[in-house]
Parts: sequence; C-alpha cells; structure tokens
Amino acid sequence: MSAVATQTPENCPAALTSVLRGILALFLWATLPLYNARWTLLPALTGVAMMAMLVGAVIAAPREVIEGDVQRLMYIHVPSASAGTYFAFLIAAASSAAFLISRDIRWDAVARSAATVGVLFTVITLATGAIWGKPIWGVYWTWDARLTSTLVLLLIYTAYLLARSVAGPNDEQAARYSAIFALIGFLDIPLIHFSVDWWRTLHPQRIIFDPRPAVPGEMLLVLLIAFIAITLLMLWLVALRSDTEQLVQRTDRMRARLDQREPA
Amino acid sequence: MTAQSFAVVSHGLTKRYAGVEVVSEASFALPTASKIALLGPNGAGKSTLLGMLSSLITPTDGDASIAGYPLRINPPALRRQIGVLGHLPMVYEELSPLENLEFFARLYEVPNPDARVEQLLRTVGLWRRRREPTQVFSRGFHQRLALARAVLHHPTLMLLDEPETGLDPAGVELLDELVMRDPNVTVLAATHLVERTAQWAHGLLRLERGRVIEAPAMPPTVAASTVGATL
Amino acid sequence: MFRKDFQLAWRDRTGWLSAFAFAAISILVYSFAFDLAATDVRPLLPGVLWTTFLFVGIFANGQSFQREADAGTFDAMMIAPVSPSTIFFGKVITNLVALVLIELALLVLATMLFDTVLLTAELILVVAIGTTGYVSLTTLLSTLGSRARARAVLLPVLALPLLVPLLIAGVRATGVALDEPVGSAPWMLLLSMFALWATVGGALLFPLAVER
Repeated sequence: MSAVATQTPENCPAALTSVLRGILALFLWATLPLYNARWTLLPALTGVAMMAMLVGAVIAAPREVIEGDVQRLMYIHVPSASAGTYFAFLIAAASSAAFLISRDIRWDAVARSAATVGVLFTVITLATGAIWGKPIWGVYWTWDARLTSTLVLLLIYTAYLLARSVAGPNDEQAARYSAIFALIGFLDIPLIHFSVDWWRTLHPQRIIFDPRPAVPGEMLLVLLIAFIAITLLMLWLVALRSDTEQLVQRTDRMRARLDQREPA
Repeated sequence: MTAQSFAVVSHGLTKRYAGVEVVSEASFALPTASKIALLGPNGAGKSTLLGMLSSLITPTDGDASIAGYPLRINPPALRRQIGVLGHLPMVYEELSPLENLEFFARLYEVPNPDARVEQLLRTVGLWRRRREPTQVFSRGFHQRLALARAVLHHPTLMLLDEPETGLDPAGVELLDELVMRDPNVTVLAATHLVERTAQWAHGLLRLERGRVIEAPAMPPTVAASTVGATL
Repeated sequence: MFRKDFQLAWRDRTGWLSAFAFAAISILVYSFAFDLAATDVRPLLPGVLWTTFLFVGIFANGQSFQREADAGTFDAMMIAPVSPSTIFFGKVITNLVALVLIELALLVLATMLFDTVLLTAELILVVAIGTTGYVSLTTLLSTLGSRARARAVLLPVLALPLLVPLLIAGVRATGVALDEPVGSAPWMLLLSMFALWATVGGALLFPLAVER
C-alpha cells in the first residue's frame, strides 16, 4: 500500500497539481488583459469584423460560377464549423479543467457558456450546410465524415448542458460531474473523427464539400476575414453569457444566505 | 512522536454549499479518550461536521488533525482510525451479517478477522442468525449490525450521528458497552437525547447555525505544528 | 474488493437475469423489425449485437450504482482506507465479467437463431475489449448523483454519444471476425485504443467524480 506517497484527496501527485496550477496562472495572466477589455475592445472589434465579413461575402466576393449565390454561405459555414464549434468546445473543456483544479465555481459558468455558444454555432454549421447542400446536391444531409462528427459533437454538448442544468447554478458536485463530462467529451473528439472517417471510407463518396482545391484569391481573403469575425463573435458571446451566468450564481448565493437568516 | 493529548484538533473547518456556510470556522479540540456530546438544533450543521471529520465531505476551508494525521491529505492511515455510525446503516442488504463483517474486516485489514467477527456478532446478538440476508432484519438489528461494523477495526475515534435511533434499551446498552465505556476510544456523538448525555458525556460541543458556541477545549495555539504534522 | 462485488452481483442475479432477458428480447425485436428471417443476416448481425450490448450495459450499470448509493454503502467505501481507484476497478471488473457472460449467452442465442457460427476466439476477443471500453466509461458516468431526477433517462443520453467510436469500431471489428468486407482500416486498434483511453480516463477521474 502506498501509504508513503503523498496523496492529495484528488489522488493527483502534488507535483502534477503544482504544474497544473502554474499553467493555469500563466493562462490567466496572458488572457486577463483581453478579458478586461471585453466590454470595450471586443465588441468594437467584433462589429468591425462582422461588417467586413458581410460586405465581403455578399458584395465583394466573386460569384461562384457553378453554384451561384448560395455558395456565399460558405463564408459562414466553414468558419462556424471550425472556430465557432471546436474552439468554443475547447474553451468549454479548458474551463472545465480549470474548475476541477481550482474548485472555483465561476469556471463552471464559463464552461457552460462556452458550451452553449458552441452548440449554437454547431447548429448554424449544420443548418447552413443543409441550406447550401439542398440546391447543389439535392439533399439536406449527406453522411459526410465531417458533418457526422459535428453532429455527434452536438449531441455530446447538448447532453452536457442538459445534465448540468438539472442541478442548481452553485451545485459544486453537479458542476464537478459535468466538468468531467465536458473534458471527456472533448478528449473523445479524435476518436470520433477516426471512427467516423474510416466508416465513411467504406462507402463510395459523392463529390462533396471538397471543391476547395482551387479557391481563388479573393475568396480566400473574404474567408479569412469571416474566420476572424466568427471567432471574435464567438468569444464575445461566451464573455457575455458567462458574465450572466456568474451573476445568476451570485444571486443564487445571496438568496440562499437570506433564506438562512430568515428563522430568527 | 509525542502522545496525542488531543484526538481531534480542528482549525476553522468550514463547509459552504451554494453560498451558504453550513459549518463556519469550527475550531475546537477533543481530548483523547473523552466522550463528547455534539449538541445543537436541527440544521445546526452537526451532520456536516461529522461528515467532514469522517473524511466523507471535503471541507471548503480550514483543516483538522485526527490522531495526528492531517484531514486535508486524508491518508488511509487516518481512515483506519475512524469508526462511523450514521443515519444509514451502511451495510449491504443482500449479504448476510457474517459476509458483511467479513468484507469490512478484509477492507480494514483487521488482524484475526474471524475471531473478531465472531466476537462482535455474539456481542450484538446476531450470531445465531449470521447467515441470513440482512434485508430480513428489523431496524433495530440493522443498527446493531451497523454498530458492529463501526467498531470492527478497533477505531480510536468514533463519530456517531444520533446512534440511539432505532435501538431498543438492550441495544442502547450495547452501544454503551462497546463505545461509550471503552477507555481507549474518543467519541463525538451527535444526539437529541440530552438527558442521557449526563450518563456518558465528559463534555459538550455545541453548534448553532454552523458556529461553535461551546467547546470542550480550544485548539492549542501551538497547534500549527500539530496540524502540519505530516507523514 | 472484487469478492464483495461478485457476491453482490451474485445475490442480485435476478437483476442480471432481467438484463439478459432484455437483451434477448431486443434481438427478437430487431429480427422482426428488420426481417432478419428472410434476408441475409450476416452483414446486419454485428450492428444488432452491438446495439444490444450497449443498451444492456448502460441499463445494468446504472442499476448497480443506484443501489449502492441508496443503502449508503457507497459512503462506507469512501470512509474506508481504500483508494477510490480500487473501488473503480472493483466495479469495472465485476460488471465486465457479468456483461461478458451475458454477451456470450447472447452469441449462443444468435448462433442458433441465425444459423451462423459466432463463437470464434477472434470475435470473443473483440467483444471482450469493446465491453471493457464501455463498462469503464459507464461506470464513470454512473456517478451522476443519485438524487438527480431524470437520472435513468440522462445516463444513456450522456453515454451513447461518447460511445460512438466504440460502436463503430466494435461493429466493424466484429465484421472482420466474421469475414465481412469492412475495408482495411485498423478497427481492432481503434477499439483497443478506446478501451484503454476509457479505462485510464475513468480511473483518473473517478476519485474526482465521487468527491463531496
């Protein structure tokens, strides 16, 4: 029996916990200025970027020869798929890990918000994919590897939100369980990718979303702008939502304290 | 290592659930081999305090040392010293009393397990029916089995949460015999039977709204060394 | 630790028998729904088998944890001088053995119903590894508080999306064992990786999940 090894209640060796705390501190130090600027700089930047994206997508970008104007949805669809979903879920997983290490319930608020925004963008991705797909290929849904993986991801984080909302905003044990789920869900992503990808290679593919071998320069530029715009939008939404969540947590705590004082 | 004059030393133990401090800054010391009654109205935080001391609930703040071991680190050796009797009997319904005690004896690495198990089963009066599944027994016998489980591994600290519930007078006598009159055991027992405390308690630990308003002894100020004593 | 879990499982054998009954009925339901009597069954069999395994597993796992929590015996485990990882492995191994037995029985049943040889060493290995994967994960997930109201429904909703890779890889690997054409991807490797990941992850995170 390892009675000699120092065991913290989390069963993590002390050295590892210190390293993790160090990384957390570094991460906070790096992002704190950005976080403090979230009411000033971030909305402004987001606004500008979104305008640029809209102008670019609707007006400036060349009309695609084969697919027509519907193809302009690509400027929303592609960045949403990558930045909107994966980046958001990465934030959710990272916040969950931060919560597990620090036990500060506010990280749980951030994780929930990031997951909510991620789910939003996942739905956008799938919806724009369907709207784009129907006129072009005649179907709303193809079992394309990427789309299918995205759908699984949607299911995972919807389940996360469901499980978390069953308990109260300050329920530490429920938050801990959900954080573990969010973390595992994110770590599952590579496995999901491989399995779905290999599964789809069993069946002859239609020529799907791959006409990206030759994307002309102007389109690429607009795509880049769209990418930045969506990322900023996602970050801003997460910041907004997590502030609200934290307010809800504080209100709930205050209410509980008042209740405790009632029976004089 | 000096002989512990205090079995339990608590410094500012706090438990917060959703913003409410169920136990606030509990600081007290329990002298070794003393029998202390834990008193307080419903909702005062008695069960939570016992939960923290038994390592079941993680404190939000503060620390304690039990038999010299730090609670925060919670080494297995600490848990070996503790025996708990709570609201639920914490025994397996599908297994017989014999199987239950044999299992717990293995879990706690009790020396001479068979002899010890037999001795306890005979004492609590479950020897004759030792092979029947626990679920057929009455509440009183459940509690007796729970008592046997709690003292099985010769703990030096007994944490009891209203132990008399469900026990008939003979059962209460068993409780006294096995726990309250054992000179080697420190006892902290939450109870509503205040009159009975005169019979067994050496001192009181009183809680109200999570705060300690009366304690048998305050933690010694030199305590930093006691609490910090690690492996 | 194992002995206790085994004894418990044995005592609760009615519960496990119901699980087997549920699984057997599922196979019949699939037979009716997909007309497995008429069509060539072999391509569909891996899918039928694995969906049944997963549902039984989730159902059974949730049950055993629920009962421990109710009786307060889980608290008894927590205050005992045993590490949570040991508790985790005890549960995983017991559930693993019980489920593999159920699955073997199902394979025998399917062999008779569909007139195909199913009890090959390769297939049993696939089943065993896959089962390890989902048992580890569902054991971790079943720590969902017993007081959560919609618990019974929530557990499958949480577990199944995470188990997608296991399902896909398990079905394909079973297909390989049955000499069905399933492409050249290393399914067995993926299955084993998943099982490893689930078990290690479960063991590391279980102590955090049960903390109060």
